[in-house]
Amino acid sequence: MIEFNHKQQLLSHGTEQIPIKVVGLGGAGLNVIDRIVLDGAVPGADLVVMNTDVQSLTSSVASQKVQLGRGVTRGLGAGGDPELGLSAADESQDEVRKALEGASLIFLCAGLGGGTGSGAAPMIASMAKENGALVVVIATVPFTFEGKRRGKQAEEALLLLQATADAVICFDNDVMGEAVAPKAGIHQAFAAADETISQCVRAIAGLFTQPGILHIGFDDLCAALRPASGVGRCLFGYGEAQGDNRAYEALTRALRNPLMDRGRMLDEAHNVLVNVAGGPDMTLNEVQMLMGALAKHTGEETQILFGAAVDPSLTGRIGVTVISSAGMAYTAAEAVPQFVPRVVPAPVTAPRVAIPAARRKAEEEPEVEAEPAEAAAPSYAQDIAPEPDRVPAAASADDDDDEQTSLIDLAPPRRERAAAEAHPVPARPPRAPRQPRIVSAATDPAQAPAASRREERQETLQFEPVTRGRFEKSEPTIVDGQDLDVPTFLRRNMKVS
Amino acid sequence: MARDHILVGLEIGTSKICVVVGDSKPDGSIKILGVGQAPSRGVRKGEIVDFDTAQKCVHEALVDAEEKSDVMIQSVYLGVTGSHIASFNNRGMVSIPEEQEEITDAECDSVRASAREVSIPSQNMFIHSILQHYYVDGQEGVLNPVGMMGHKLEADFHIIHGIGTRVKNAVRCVKEIPLEVEDVVFNPLAAAQVVLNQHQKNLGALAIDMGGGTTDYLMYVDGAVRQSGSLGIGGDHITNDISMGLRIPMARAEKLKMDEGSVTLGMALPGETVTLKDDSGFAGKEVERETLNTIIHMRARETFDLLRRQLEAGGDLHLLGAGIFITGGSSLLRGIDHLAQEVFELPVHITHAQTMSGITSAFENPQFSTAIGLIKYAQAVQMDRPSGWLSKFTQKLPLFGRRR
Repeated sequence: MIEFNHKQQLLSHGTEQIPIKVVGLGGAGLNVIDRIVLDGAVPGADLVVMNTDVQSLTSSVASQKVQLGRGVTRGLGAGGDPELGLSAADESQDEVRKALEGASLIFLCAGLGGGTGSGAAPMIASMAKENGALVVVIATVPFTFEGKRRGKQAEEALLLLQATADAVICFDNDVMGEAVAPKAGIHQAFAAADETISQCVRAIAGLFTQPGILHIGFDDLCAALRPASGVGRCLFGYGEAQGDNRAYEALTRALRNPLMDRGRMLDEAHNVLVNVAGGPDMTLNEVQMLMGALAKHTGEETQILFGAAVDPSLTGRIGVTVISSAGMAYTAAEAVPQFVPRVVPAPVTAPRVAIPAARRKAEEEPEVEAEPAEAAAPSYAQDIAPEPDRVPAAASADDDDDEQTSLIDLAPPRRERAAAEAHPVPARPPRAPRQPRIVSAATDPAQAPAASRREERQETLQFEPVTRGRFEKSEPTIVDGQDLDVPTFLRRNMKVS
Repeated sequence: MARDHILVGLEIGTSKICVVVGDSKPDGSIKILGVGQAPSRGVRKGEIVDFDTAQKCVHEALVDAEEKSDVMIQSVYLGVTGSHIASFNNRGMVSIPEEQEEITDAECDSVRASAREVSIPSQNMFIHSILQHYYVDGQEGVLNPVGMMGHKLEADFHIIHGIGTRVKNAVRCVKEIPLEVEDVVFNPLAAAQVVLNQHQKNLGALAIDMGGGTTDYLMYVDGAVRQSGSLGIGGDHITNDISMGLRIPMARAEKLKMDEGSVTLGMALPGETVTLKDDSGFAGKEVERETLNTIIHMRARETFDLLRRQLEAGGDLHLLGAGIFITGGSSLLRGIDHLAQEVFELPVHITHAQTMSGITSAFENPQFSTAIGLIKYAQAVQMDRPSGWLSKFTQKLPLFGRRR
């Protein structure tokens, strides 16, 4: 726990008032900001919205509004075109910079897949970075039904963001959709997604503002968000409870969040951040009980980053925040981190030269031909990954060092993980990292990623057996959106035997 | 009509089909003459899913009952259930014409009709409309308004309705045997007649019939039916959970549940196991006792939680003076009363049919509560209206609120 001390020192400087800005970008980002305002704003944070579409800007309740690309879009949306979104952000650079000024922690909320969100987010993230702020990007990946093209745009934007921002929390809309009852209206589904994001922003902001007994720092957060493989899907859960059994209840509620996949996903996570906040009446016994209960859900190898905070406003209650990440089944994404350790020692100049080329490539043929773009992803991702993108040389020098050292530190465990991950997939030998690359350079680039993707899916299927046994053919008994024919212990994700 | 003294209740349950033959004595007591039963197939969650198979089972059970009671069964009272059955309370109102001062039977009938003038889904039919209370010119607590003077007669009814085709399927299954169906009765209404006495009904009591496929409930407050319904979860679900959780066949899971299962957690020693014997008696798989109990506990607790939520929506849970009475096959699960007590925070009793004479083994088994209750219901109906009830199939009689 050397990290711990290190971070405590860092935070002892200016714990109380960190200037925080929460930026909502694009239509989805705007909704999130509105939701944050509705839920009671993040204490001490400025809310900023940025969009190309004037109409949605005017209806937003945020205090600060920035219109992107006055000239490019003339007040209309970006029409689902990331390039338009990018040039809009490019045009409004000054205004954006001004809006981001003075914050040392910036949350950038964007729905990826559309024009403004996917196009402008990486640029704005890098501008925020230039201002010297820590940047946490909270992104949503579109529903599968929104089409492959949007999915692809989101994926590309996500890779760019991962290279730029300090931490990327990625929510999968498909999973968020499961949060609501099947009968609920579509507006409820989206509202539930926004609410989860709002909770997440609040919880993370809380991590830094609440006076902690055991403080959780930014490095802990980054560690927890760093997925075992690929672009991480964020596992986030927040639960609050009161009463005699509040510790256990709060944890249960946190794990009940669909993003947790009912606690199941934690098993695969390698770093789990847990923050327990409670009033002055919170006992050590309760915390012990809670952590004991959580341990049942995590694997033996899992590192638990534990934080505890006392907040007088929580008297009588306990709130538990669980943050972690798991790999997503995205093909291109999957390849990225496996290369990272290898690329790090390479000369700094090489990737820098490579970036523009890679980016140009990505921009030239973003998704016209799906297959080549997919195959190309590993190669450009590999170049970008270790190096913050779009950062002018002067500002980036320090960052580079930081980034590199931290990556080197992490390299060995991550490689182990990659091996462990690869293990259940029979086709790939444990020491696989290099293999996909070779394949992608070969004549048939599309095959390897496609194959691995298929295997990935197969695996997840086994994890979620939705069986009803004897009642398979009878009419389901559905109460409150739950199929009661599925065994209770399965629905509650109890481990049996 | 000598036959009228012989009453037969038929319950087509999810786990077993049960026929009870009883003799109704003029003093109101009932003597059980015989109980016939057959394992049920083709029934899920209280409803017939395989018509022919179910019919065969009904036939078996009837033959069994005829042999044991030495009675030729010609007509039965049929118990129905299923999660499609729903209920609500409604008030009916009629004005008494100026020239007529006294309230007559006709007004009592029309107030019932007016209470039914509510919209239920078009596919649904009324199963019961049970009288709760009469009000004459706003005056409360009128037990029998006939002969009273007044201008306005109001009455609260508890109306139970269900999907017509599903109820009629069960009726058809019996009629094709062939056998006359005198009446269909919602299961918990029948069961409540024998597990609750009048005193408990007045104090406020909840009867829960935990069967194989459904958990049915009926609540009496102030001597009148206040809430009722059916939840499509039962002992079958517990067995299914065990079968899936421990990966053992359904039949084995059922036996394990009955022999070893308990809903109480923390009672087993750490690491204590139960050995599953296979058919030849050899020791097979070992199952941790706590695991088994956890699976049962989760399901049972969830069922009670759902019930509690449904009942709380009606807002009468605090009116239960006498507490909760659990009956039905699943009530035999060890520790279920304690669990219910924990969930509902009310006194809980496991009961079986009371106030009967005859074969003790029959009425002391909670599994037969509903079938015996059907006889009790039939007796009450026949006493209420000695003739003319046969033709009126859907129009039920005012029950138990009115005694002349």
